[in-house]
Amino acid sequence: MNSKALWNMPIETISPDIQSGRISPVELLDTLLERINAHDEKIKSFVCLAPNARSQAEAAAKEIAGGHYKGPLHGIPIAVKDNYLTADMPTRAGTKSSVKYTKTDSTCAKKLREAGAIILGKTNMHEFAWGNETPPTRNPWDLGRVPGGSSGGSGAAIAAGFVPAALGSDTGGSIRIPASLCGTVGIKPTYGLVGRAGIIPHSWSLDTAGPLAATVADAAFVTEALVGYDESDPGSVDRAKPDFISALGAPIEGMRIGICRNHFFDALETDISGKIENAIDQFSNLGCKVTEFEIPNLQYGLAAIFAIELASSTAWHDPALLAGMTADYQSDVQTLVEIGRFVTGPDYLKAEQLRRVLMEDFSRIFCEIDAIIGPTSPLTAWNIGEQKVRIGDSDESVLAASWRLTYPWNLIGVPAISVPCGFDSRGLPIGLQMAAPPFKEDDLFRLAYAYEEKQEWKGNRAVI
Amino acid sequence: MTDPDFIRDVLGIPLESERVEQNLKAYADILQEISKLRTLNLSDVHPAVVFSPISKLEKSPNE
Repeated sequence: MNSKALWNMPIETISPDIQSGRISPVELLDTLLERINAHDEKIKSFVCLAPNARSQAEAAAKEIAGGHYKGPLHGIPIAVKDNYLTADMPTRAGTKSSVKYTKTDSTCAKKLREAGAIILGKTNMHEFAWGNETPPTRNPWDLGRVPGGSSGGSGAAIAAGFVPAALGSDTGGSIRIPASLCGTVGIKPTYGLVGRAGIIPHSWSLDTAGPLAATVADAAFVTEALVGYDESDPGSVDRAKPDFISALGAPIEGMRIGICRNHFFDALETDISGKIENAIDQFSNLGCKVTEFEIPNLQYGLAAIFAIELASSTAWHDPALLAGMTADYQSDVQTLVEIGRFVTGPDYLKAEQLRRVLMEDFSRIFCEIDAIIGPTSPLTAWNIGEQKVRIGDSDESVLAASWRLTYPWNLIGVPAISVPCGFDSRGLPIGLQMAAPPFKEDDLFRLAYAYEEKQEWKGNRAVI
Repeated sequence: MTDPDFIRDVLGIPLESERVEQNLKAYADILQEISKLRTLNLSDVHPAVVFSPISKLEKSPNE
């Protein structure tokens, strides 16, 4: 086996070799570090590499050799977004301001370590998770373009073949947008399924922890490792441990697919429309029953997510705001943190009322269908520095456009996954998004895996 | 009333008037969206945020 193949292997392929001893975690780590050292200067996906990565890999190798194999993540290097606290690396949440965070493991970092993963490093993010560009990280598919955000470093690191999986966080699309733009899988689990203690908050009732990964199976392995009640997270839900692995390869014939024709299909780039319609046809050909519907109340969704996210973010940053420290933030983030003060109490509560309305609208739909599918993003990766994009006949700000199709699932808290579904005419990845009822991640993995298995680009990384 | 000083005082914003004015401009598009939300009659809908009188210390993991 050559080292080029090793960096390109998903967890689902490499973990049996690690279990059997054919590949050592140390060999895998060294291959990935070599690739990071050779290429991350131009991608800029990592902000920090774990000083103890090699000792983590050696310990994993010893455990496995001693017959104590823990499962598919054992000995696998995984990166975490820079807003997850870690005991062995500093946490900056993407900011250069003087705020300091404690060195301790977040719940998710602990869960990864318990599963035997090697936490390889911290990935860059849009400052305080408030944006979709993640400067200075570049998209490995085209270095002149953004990787998306806010978990852009995680998406870029996977697309570049630096790691097979990385953690992200998703408040309005921050896992799924970079997954879509970087050609990886990314899942925002149901709100409350994955504990968030030790993640720097952005918006308490929207923030969700989850992974980006090279393949659907890899995303299932990491999500399954992260699930569990977190007594330090007030949003955490105590449920029986789900079995996502059994969903991989399960038949999808007869599953009911919904297409929400308003909102999710408004103003898409032409190549994206074509690929999504093609994906819908593929599900139909695989034996799924496809039903179309509309949810008119989605027209108020942007107001609701803005009211909740702005007000919550400003409340969290209030001490910094009062101390005059927001002037040290990047200018876009400074503005967003400051303007949250303009959201009135009634606006905020009305947004929470609309949220209830949308939850009930979709709940009725979910009585009759298993998953809603559509595009993850109306546009592929845009040029660095671009503020407005032209989609169809109108100009739209990239911030507004990029999360337009992802935030509805944060508002209602249901799980949503983004899976690569081809490339546009410029060779940039396109994402297919699927959402399911609360705690039905198994159906998402089942559908996404069946779709991915039919695609020639499964697990592909960018040529860098 | 659009006087930035007045708005700053009412909303408790610890920023210079000039900065408040810039922020008001940046907020204009969002306000347009929020104005749409304000037209809805949702008085019969309980907000998604629900108060619970049970403190964290009293809650068992299974609740």
